[in-house]
Amino acid sequence: MDFILSQLAGFGTAFVGLAVDPLTYLYLIASVFLGITFGALPGLTATLAVTILTGFFGNKIPLDYSLIALLGAYVGAIYGGSYPSILLNIPGTAASAATAMDGYPLAKAGRGGEALGLTTTASFIGTVIGTITLLIFVWVLLLVSKNIASPEKALLALFGILLSGTLMSEDLVIKGWIAGLIGLAMSMVGLDPLLSEPRYTFGWSYLMSGFQVVPVLMGAFAIPQIIDGLTHVEAGKVLALKGRILPNLRSIRRYLPTIGRSGVIGTGVGALPGVGEDVAGWVSYGVGKTVSAEGDKYGKGSLEGLLCSETANNACIGGALIPLLVLGIPGSPPAAALMGAFKINNVIPGPTIDPEIILRVVAILVLASLTMFLMGLFTARVFIKILAIPQTIFLPVVMVLTTIGSFSVGGGINDLYLMLGVGAVAYFMNLMKYPIAPLVIGVILGSLFDETFRRSLFLSDGDLSVFFSRPGAAILLVLNVGLILSQLPVAKRAFSRLKGLSV
Amino acid sequence: MDKPDDTLIMRARDFWASIGLIAISTFFLWKTSDIPLWGENRAGVSGSDWYNSAAIVPLFIFGGLLVLSFVLLAISIRSGGAQHAFSALGIGWDKSEAYRASTIGLILLAYVVGLVPRVDFILCSGLLITALTYGYYGGHARRALVACIAVVVAGLFAFAVFPAQADWNAHGDDWFTLALWVALTLVVLTKAASERVLRFVPLVAILAPLILVCAMAFVFRQNVPARGGLIFKQIEYHYYVTLRPLWKD
Repeated sequence: MDFILSQLAGFGTAFVGLAVDPLTYLYLIASVFLGITFGALPGLTATLAVTILTGFFGNKIPLDYSLIALLGAYVGAIYGGSYPSILLNIPGTAASAATAMDGYPLAKAGRGGEALGLTTTASFIGTVIGTITLLIFVWVLLLVSKNIASPEKALLALFGILLSGTLMSEDLVIKGWIAGLIGLAMSMVGLDPLLSEPRYTFGWSYLMSGFQVVPVLMGAFAIPQIIDGLTHVEAGKVLALKGRILPNLRSIRRYLPTIGRSGVIGTGVGALPGVGEDVAGWVSYGVGKTVSAEGDKYGKGSLEGLLCSETANNACIGGALIPLLVLGIPGSPPAAALMGAFKINNVIPGPTIDPEIILRVVAILVLASLTMFLMGLFTARVFIKILAIPQTIFLPVVMVLTTIGSFSVGGGINDLYLMLGVGAVAYFMNLMKYPIAPLVIGVILGSLFDETFRRSLFLSDGDLSVFFSRPGAAILLVLNVGLILSQLPVAKRAFSRLKGLSV
Repeated sequence: MDKPDDTLIMRARDFWASIGLIAISTFFLWKTSDIPLWGENRAGVSGSDWYNSAAIVPLFIFGGLLVLSFVLLAISIRSGGAQHAFSALGIGWDKSEAYRASTIGLILLAYVVGLVPRVDFILCSGLLITALTYGYYGGHARRALVACIAVVVAGLFAFAVFPAQADWNAHGDDWFTLALWVALTLVVLTKAASERVLRFVPLVAILAPLILVCAMAFVFRQNVPARGGLIFKQIEYHYYVTLRPLWKD
């Protein structure tokens, strides 16, 4: 009890500190607005919003304001994705793909206002559930993480890459793993972290310090999005918004169990390393469909179905920050961009992170979700107007933003060449249905994996048993091996046979 | 020949991707042999054990990549991808999509490699915004070509006339880019009567880079590309000489 009270007191101090600063509101309103706009415009994603702001605000303003800008945009963009899902039947972000299943039929039936109002409320409650979980569990995990040494860190980093590769592949799982390995390979460029041995620099001094995170993020997430958005001209017709947006308390009370359950599911999925908001939305939707009494109405305009995905994707934000802050392993692609921002501010997320930063992150998330809630309820019609802006107007400006953001981070013109190169690779990977997030996670976690894996070998004099003689490492090794084996055709056949027997 | 389904197209693409990946991972495995592995002197320190080597993790990564590439190749061949991999139809070649993507690629290449380092950021970004919006709004193939030519010519001019970094502050390429931007804007405005969206293009093309570059340089005090550019040089001069003393004093 004392522990929870002390955490709440710490949170209160951080919250008041931010709340009395007028600049906080300036950054909050601007970033949440920008985030919702990015989410609302099909073709622009939450990851892109956080990535671009990382280049723009990353290390140019004090860390607190930088975090407000990035987390505000993150919360806003995940919520903003619901607008085109409901009114255009096109998910604004991958996280809102499940939202369209019920949101669009509701809007067609003239219940768009009601759907948007409840979605806003559910997104707010979902973010708060994720944030509270972050506040409580991050401390428990931080205590546990003190016992995490190099072997566990190496296996955890590998698990994050493998898991994101497995869950984010649209096509073959092997493509996700290949993307992760390409990311890991990219992180090998430069001086090695233990002996400063140059690797794959080809005599170019710029490569000695390795690939910088921000240009890689910009290239991987922004360039393919820009090319794809300009290549595919899809102009949807926005449905007219009918009905009151402000939800009544009775319907909120009615759907509170669904919102609570989805919030918990979203947070749990988010806490898995490398798994993003889209997976959270679909898992919650699937669970809702199975357990709900009105499961048969899902996909035909069910408010419950809508709230399942919308609550979960916002709750996922808090969940995704748990592995990022505790272990230094991003829980979702936008969290990977956020990790880039931490890195360029010389903050190393993980067991050694300053606990004050965690409290401030929690306070910022609460403030951002409140801002999103108020903006969603009272300025929704502004965002609906934004839906009418063609991508061809917006994307060229995004390209200019990306360029100047990438340039100003430090490496100058070479960073732009890197951004373009990574962008070209990511574009072709997208064409062939390779997920991009595992590549970025691989780049970010590569140096951690390299350093901790080799340090483990150093300390054990090359004895590989260090990876299974420690209990934590043994569990993680089993998880890694189990994850790989579970994808083998033999294992898949056995699973489906077992499933058949149990039915 | 009937058009193959999406999965078969993907397997045909996987065939080529796996061959590319095998080549890349083999090349980098060979490059890894440059890094001392067995007890050689590295970074001035004599080591004797394999686990001291900086090559261990890259070997694991590129070895893994090679194995996975062979698995992908096997999947592709078994699924019939190899049979379809040698025809345009088999790999799902879409001429119009390839045309649009390659013109966008050329525009971005000319912008990043030719223009941004050499030409004033407001001018080259204005040209980029105008070109991309005009070229790709509404899906007109001819407009995409005009847009592509405008940016590529500007980029090639800057790259060819001022290749050395010492000449990047010269203004010849700035004037050339400005002329192309004005010409393209006039073309856009002729079409703006029938397409309302295009009316806003000149405004967005001027304001967006102007605000961004000024915010980055004077609010966040960060480095911006081509500081000596035609317009930005004047802005910077008047900011420090004319404007700043007003509130500094």
